[in-house]
Amino acid sequence: MLVRFWGTRGSLPVASTAAIVRQKIVGALLAADGRRFAGAADAEQFVERELGFAAGATYGGASPCVELAADDSAYFICDMGSGLRSFGLDSMRRNGEGHGKVYNFFLSHLHWDHIMGFPFFMPAFDPTAVIRIHAAHPDAEQALRRQQEEISFPVPFDWLRADIRFVQLTPGEDYEIDGVKVETARQHHSHTSYGYRFTDGEGRTAIYSTDSEHKPDNMEDEAAFIDFFREAELVICDTMYSLADSVSMKEDWGHSSNIVAVDLCHEAAAKRLALFHHEPTYEDEDIQRMHEETIRYEELTRQGSPLEVICAYDGLEVRI
Amino acid sequence: MEHTLDIRDGAIVFQVSGRVDESTWTAFGEALGDAVRQARQAAIAEVVIDLSNLDYMSSRGLRVLTVAKREADEAGIGLRLAAPNDVMREILAISRYDKLFTVTDRVEMKQ
Repeated sequence: MLVRFWGTRGSLPVASTAAIVRQKIVGALLAADGRRFAGAADAEQFVERELGFAAGATYGGASPCVELAADDSAYFICDMGSGLRSFGLDSMRRNGEGHGKVYNFFLSHLHWDHIMGFPFFMPAFDPTAVIRIHAAHPDAEQALRRQQEEISFPVPFDWLRADIRFVQLTPGEDYEIDGVKVETARQHHSHTSYGYRFTDGEGRTAIYSTDSEHKPDNMEDEAAFIDFFREAELVICDTMYSLADSVSMKEDWGHSSNIVAVDLCHEAAAKRLALFHHEPTYEDEDIQRMHEETIRYEELTRQGSPLEVICAYDGLEVRI
Repeated sequence: MEHTLDIRDGAIVFQVSGRVDESTWTAFGEALGDAVRQARQAAIAEVVIDLSNLDYMSSRGLRVLTVAKREADEAGIGLRLAAPNDVMREILAISRYDKLFTVTDRVEMKQ
């Protein structure tokens, strides 16, 4: 299974500014310290090996959208944040190469940052595309139609030509969808959110658990998450806030922290954790620092096998 | 996880050793809650948690500290983290709990 991250930022899409890009270029030039490069490949190696991620790249700013590619027969997409636009265009290229035009969406919840990409999803205008929107929320269709009412958007939902169906899921039940086993679990968030567990035909499992708060008052409930995450090859987790922020000024904001994610993954014997739903006010350096600290926390608290900690960014591909 | 409770210099000193993790956080929470209640009943103004002998504390343990601090705040009792060892110092920094709690290098406040 290949997991592609099309949008990894929480709450609001963000974009780099000219000043930020210029600062990175200046930093790279100073780090190169007058070195000459044989060509683009040589320069790329320098960026890859000698600049940190924040200095040589960017975590991006699109809001949540994650693709799970099991095979070429159908697409599996978690959430419809602003990253969905890029995914949609890329999928049309792949459709031209023979990919099946079946889009299986799985919505964690209906907040704006997780559905805002759908009005820009070009395959929705393709009458030969099949779009199945899976959600445990009974009001998923209402949320998507509402954001395309004329007061908010010039193109009404009813103008979309694809075969669009809404499929209600029930937490605790197993579903077989185009060769992938799918389970959903309720999470603590405003208007509720749902995590997803995807298992492909080879038994490889990826978890999508975003916008899920783990409060100090409900720690007994975490046993259910440990079971849901059990032995997953990849767990994508909301790690938006520090633990201190999540229990103080940002309590009840519906998000979790990096160290809770590590602890849950350790207890679940998961293999890899992807930090996700990055705070929109964080610059790339802040996210990189958070990533480094999380790696260190995992080292300090590890009892069994190491948990690999990666940091999701727009464009990241992870094969599991 | 083991703990001891001591009254010293007008404070309850709660020393915890071992690991506070998924298997011990409940017992840690109960014991710390008892310490706060004892302080309230005895009109003791402060509970000091001695972190010098801890192997590590997971996010469960840290959130137990938050619950205890809320109880202590309601009762007008101070709750201080003291003498963190190197591992605990790192965990407090990574979690940013060193911004949420008063952390001192020593258990005793008086020289």
